[in-house]
Amino acid sequence: MSLLAPIICDNGTGFSKIGFAGNSDPSFVFPTAIATRGSATQTSRAPAVPAKPGHLASKRGVEDLDFFIGDEALANAKTPGYGVHYPIRHGMIDNWDHMERYWEQTIFKYLRAEPEDHYFLLTEPPLNPPENREQTAEIFFESFNIKGLYIAVQAVLALAASWTSNRQSDRTLTGTVIDSGDGVTHVIPCAEGYVIGSAIKHIPIAGRDITQFVLNLMRERGEMSAVPPEDQLRVASKVKESYSYVCQDIVREFRKYDEEPYKYFERYDGEHSVTGRKYSVDVGYERFLAPEIFFNPEIYSSDFLTPLPEIVDDVIQQSPIDVRRGLYKNIVLSGGSTMFQHFGQRLKRDLKQLVDRRLDASVLASGSLQKSSGVEVEVISHKRQRYAVWFGGSLLASLPDFYSSCHTKAQYDEIGPSICRRYQIFGSAT
Amino acid sequence: MILLDPHNVIIQTTLNEKLVKPSSLDVQFVDYDGVRFHLSTPEKKTVLLLSMHIRCWDELVRYGAIDVLQREYGALLVGQAEQDYNVSLMIDLEQVPAEPEAREAFITSIALFKRNAVAAPFESAFNTQKELEKAEGQQGELMQIHYRDEEAIYIQAAHDRVTVIFSTIFQDETDRIFGKVFLQEFVDARRQPSIQNAPQVLYSSRDPPLEIRHLTNLRNTEDIGYVTFVLFPRHFANPNVASGTISHMQLFRDYLHYHIKCSKAYMHSRMRHRVSEFQKVLNRAKTEVATAERKTVSGRTMMTR
Repeated sequence: MSLLAPIICDNGTGFSKIGFAGNSDPSFVFPTAIATRGSATQTSRAPAVPAKPGHLASKRGVEDLDFFIGDEALANAKTPGYGVHYPIRHGMIDNWDHMERYWEQTIFKYLRAEPEDHYFLLTEPPLNPPENREQTAEIFFESFNIKGLYIAVQAVLALAASWTSNRQSDRTLTGTVIDSGDGVTHVIPCAEGYVIGSAIKHIPIAGRDITQFVLNLMRERGEMSAVPPEDQLRVASKVKESYSYVCQDIVREFRKYDEEPYKYFERYDGEHSVTGRKYSVDVGYERFLAPEIFFNPEIYSSDFLTPLPEIVDDVIQQSPIDVRRGLYKNIVLSGGSTMFQHFGQRLKRDLKQLVDRRLDASVLASGSLQKSSGVEVEVISHKRQRYAVWFGGSLLASLPDFYSSCHTKAQYDEIGPSICRRYQIFGSAT
Repeated sequence: MILLDPHNVIIQTTLNEKLVKPSSLDVQFVDYDGVRFHLSTPEKKTVLLLSMHIRCWDELVRYGAIDVLQREYGALLVGQAEQDYNVSLMIDLEQVPAEPEAREAFITSIALFKRNAVAAPFESAFNTQKELEKAEGQQGELMQIHYRDEEAIYIQAAHDRVTVIFSTIFQDETDRIFGKVFLQEFVDARRQPSIQNAPQVLYSSRDPPLEIRHLTNLRNTEDIGYVTFVLFPRHFANPNVASGTISHMQLFRDYLHYHIKCSKAYMHSRMRHRVSEFQKVLNRAKTEVATAERKTVSGRTMMTR
């Protein structure tokens, strides 16, 4: 019998992406939320103890089974008695009790897979402490008796996902990953499958901020007066997703819009979620201004002012000198907030200018004696950017090497959770 | 969640999505007991092909699976199944009923694809029981369904009952112990007055029950156990009750394993709680570090730079 497909589980702070290897999209994308009995603000984390002592049959409490995950959890948030918890904070698992139950229901209710028959590929953020990996391995091997486990770093999977791009010629695991989700944007350099931890940088601008910025712009223009207050944020995020793009020159773009407003202004039609009343708003400059906050953060925030290209340049300059060329050559985008049209081209142009300026300066400093051959800058965008991490996992787990790189149940039983401190890098051609 | 759902969530959600917005698709996924599904749009975006591979397909066909599927899906069933799969359904999204209720019923019936295929031997056993009602002392054919590599379901109809036997094997030592306790609980649970009408459950480890003792291909090892359910006509006389019985019986093994895993998770959370309590005690027992200023003989203080 052929092996059943490995399960890829990418649990992020906001959303979990879950599915089977070999597919191009995750089967399930739902919030990493769990609604349990007892209030969310409950201080004691002690699980309930069966009330009555004595005969086992009398202890038929099922409180530990009374919970919901994902969309159902949010739907039940207002049900009296339930409290919603988010077991993952800043990419790392915070509450193991909740996470174990979250996985339990993911596997049995949604995937409908017998965990004993499957290999699992899980993801972890860069700089995840090894103790967390051991805990994860304990849960998966001891509670679920899974066949084998591989824990991959999200950034490395994002690099693997870029192999499908036709711009990518060799399957390399060296590159800079720009991962922008809802909360934070990370810039992570990877050398041959290993994350250069000391050079990672975080930017406090991501999807949520862009939505807020769109909302601000539309409120200032007075468009939002037609929209009911509770729908405004949703409308702003819809506008961001459907109409926004990155422009190459703001001044020219403004002029274009002013000369031919009918050509460039779009109209968004919505419907009140409760009353069903129709409304429509004009979408204008926010189309190109929204993603602009990555490149000119001063238009949105007053405390964070460094543009994204500069951060990327800093990160690469802080990495070891022998991998810098590889890092410039392979800048990979991942996450929903990098999906804007022309985002990659703009980033590449700005970064190239920075690099060329520095090269010119060094030529001048050396008295025009030494001339650099130039540095190749390439930003790779591809179709699977939104769930790049999950897709990278799906890709790697369908390689034949995957099974030999996994830690199996037998190995775990022999050595213990400490085997999960190390993982073998595989799949790259170089 | 105490009971597992009989329908497949992936089929349900995908169909719902595609009905709203058809697009090309090619996904593979699984269901319990090693069932593999392949959902694709081979020709055009509005025609979905759903194929299923079941390990025990040949046995199911022998017990009338084709007839059951024909009855449930009719024209949707494709004569020649996709390669590497046992049976295929062709779903034309344009033919799906438009009324919300009919549409939902249609989607649910597709999502029950696996359940309906495995339901065949149960239905045939229920029918045999009806036929045998007059003839006392006779027994129907013993049906064997090897739904996993090492485990099987045996179904036999008699004149007043249908016996369903599951053989169970636990891979893991801990699971076996949990499983034993669980199955013992199952047997005992019937003593409760509220569930007197539930089918009778018998559990025996190692020794196979009399009904299947004559079979030669049984494993004779320590780790095997047998769970016997005795279904009486009241459990399947009414068609609605019968279909509920079939759904529950099919998922028995998965239900058992799910609950073993849940109780382990519960144990782990108790352990974590205990450890953190002990750690608090240990922290209280720590001696305080003397922080008095230390001086050298000559009277100078030690400074850390």
